[in-house]
Amino acid sequence: MERNRAKKKTAVRVLLSAVIILVVLYLLQRLLMPKYMSGVVEGAMVSEYYDEKKDHDVIFIGDCELYENISPMVLWEEYGINSYIRGTAQQLIWQSYYLMEETFTYEKPDVVVFNVLSMKYDEPQRETYNRMTLDGMKWSRSKIGSIKASMTEEENFLDYVFPLLRYHSRWNELSGEDFKYFWHREKVTHNGYYMRVDALPAENVPEGKILADYQFGDNAYYYLDKMVELCEKNDVELVLVKAPSLAPYWYDEWEVQMEDYAREHDLKYYNFLELIDEVGLDFTTDTYDAGLHLNLSGAEKMAHYFGRVLAEDCGLENRRGEEELERAWEKKRQAYDAEIARQQEALEAGEPVK
Amino acid sequence: MRKKLLAVVLSVCMVSAFALAGCGDSGSGNEGSGNDADGSGENQEAENGAEGENSGEDDASGGKGYVFTANGVEIAVDADMGPILEALGDDYSYFEEPSCAIPDTTAKIYTYSGFEVDTYQDGDTDLVGSIILKDDTVATAEGVDLSMTKADVIEAYGEEYTEEGTALVYEKDGMTLSFILDGDNIASIQYDSSVIN
Repeated sequence: MERNRAKKKTAVRVLLSAVIILVVLYLLQRLLMPKYMSGVVEGAMVSEYYDEKKDHDVIFIGDCELYENISPMVLWEEYGINSYIRGTAQQLIWQSYYLMEETFTYEKPDVVVFNVLSMKYDEPQRETYNRMTLDGMKWSRSKIGSIKASMTEEENFLDYVFPLLRYHSRWNELSGEDFKYFWHREKVTHNGYYMRVDALPAENVPEGKILADYQFGDNAYYYLDKMVELCEKNDVELVLVKAPSLAPYWYDEWEVQMEDYAREHDLKYYNFLELIDEVGLDFTTDTYDAGLHLNLSGAEKMAHYFGRVLAEDCGLENRRGEEELERAWEKKRQAYDAEIARQQEALEAGEPVK
Repeated sequence: MRKKLLAVVLSVCMVSAFALAGCGDSGSGNEGSGNDADGSGENQEAENGAEGENSGEDDASGGKGYVFTANGVEIAVDADMGPILEALGDDYSYFEEPSCAIPDTTAKIYTYSGFEVDTYQDGDTDLVGSIILKDDTVATAEGVDLSMTKADVIEAYGEEYTEEGTALVYEKDGMTLSFILDGDNIASIQYDSSVIN
């Protein structure tokens, strides 16, 4: 009897100790993981989606050429299109595929728009970018698939499962931000759109270097095929776009491959580099970094043009008037306006807007 | 019981602190290891892909591998662009291509008559990443220019090349010199640092 009681006591102690150790490690991990709330905010984008009501008509999936180049606010206000951009910096095509797969577990939009620049990458690139896309994803089959497809040779799967293993060396870089955002994060985007109001005209944009091989890789095509299949299976229309960014250079040889692919798979494909005049883009005023990305003025012009295309070519209905959505977007409008005001104030004071 | 629990918690904290301190030390002495996913924007040589191969080991003049000479100025990959820029003068056009989301990783493109020099950032220094010969007014130090053929390349550089797509690629001291062919003709000549490949 006495021995049993002692055994139980020991078991409780061991269990309690294990729980305490796990809690301490969890708290340490939470403290040490980057918060991406200032400077490099792009790492905070993926997780913002989970707070959204998942009832979107259009989901944009891709790299910075999407999340900086089109304003969901204008799509809503002018066309009643409820959209969200699931974008991250240098999002590779396998990451786009798995984000799409994950998105479909939450909702089935009418249209998914994918930016094709990432076809140029056929293999994993950099851990830094991987982390910005993968750390923010909730655990799921899709996240596991994305990690496995994305890891460079130097990376380990376990470092993603237990990020403390990767980030422990940040202990001497901790700042006030790590404590301030220990439990919560602020929004860094507007339905996935990263806003910049400043302007830097595009000048002397160089032509691309001549390449030894213009063929997109097998791995890139493999994931594009998987995207097509996944959209077909879920009855979602996949639309391909090439954003109107002047750099990195988009080669004619690449364009031919995308046009052929779209034709063969009966997909809509819009190359906005060929529609710059129609969209009304002026690269002396509509870009904040000399042609790589659009600023607010450019992103709103793009939304004004593309919203009409989505409404007319994809048959999206105008949902203005739906009370719940109206209320949600009104709130988003306030945050949008506040960010414009904040950035304009910074500009007038000669401070950086980011 | 409480004391034992407290002891366990303190032990965990101490072990963690020692572990973190140890890792932190090795981390700070291991810049350029290629790991900078911490969102700090620091350790930028790793961000540029330098990863210790060239940064910190070679002197700022680069000087390894095949070297291109223009107007008497030697331009080597991984060399400091500052003195080269000064020596080549002001007759160039300029474009900046920052990396998405990663600060201090801006590639700079200087286009001169007949050739282009692209740089990458290593800390506060811009190093030469690529040199691209754009027309036949310039030639490699071994005398090959864009008016020549595949046979001329092989005669000048030998048979020790690898074929990558339509390119003949010669490697020397880690850098590469590529002759991209259009049929038998040379379409482009490019010197590339291993850092940006």
